[in-house]
Amino acid sequence: MQRKLPRVLQAALLAGAMTVAIAAPARAQTKQPESASMPKVGDMAPDFKLNYFDGTNSKEVSLSQYRGKKNVVLGFFIFAFTGG
Amino acid sequence: MKALQQDLKRLEATDTQVLGVSVDSAFANKAFADQIGVTFPLLSDWGGEVTREYGIYLSKYKAARRVNFLIGKDGKILEEQVDNAAIDPTKIVDTCERPKLKN
Repeated sequence: MQRKLPRVLQAALLAGAMTVAIAAPARAQTKQPESASMPKVGDMAPDFKLNYFDGTNSKEVSLSQYRGKKNVVLGFFIFAFTGG
Repeated sequence: MKALQQDLKRLEATDTQVLGVSVDSAFANKAFADQIGVTFPLLSDWGGEVTREYGIYLSKYKAARRVNFLIGKDGKILEEQVDNAAIDPTKIVDTCERPKLKN
């Protein structure tokens, strides 16, 4: 019994280490959003919640609030104050 | 954004909401909107999280590429214009004005 216990512990540790080893790359993938490719025509547009300032208050806008109501033109621009 | 502003009435007439997005602060974007006469919201993606989700974040500039997405009422992407092609949104306006999108 005294010899078995450390083996059990060893096995548990090994299993734990393997889990970490397997899970780590998977997490690294989800943590690299830059690798996300641009959605294509026909794909669902990723939902978002972003704020803008209307001059008085900060207002929140989500893509999903327009679902079934309006089309949305989402125009990404590079920086403010750099041309049109 | 100026070009989208010019087409804003036509877009709104087809049940289309126009939104600008950049990694600038909401306050900088408001000042920018006022300066160039934009009346639709310029959203702040401070940190670039949404820009990354759309796959158009440039690490070199820590900013978005110039891209227009037209998203239908069902949430699906109907049209895309990337980089220089995104300067003139005519293609998107034309798509919005196609009869099948009008309802």
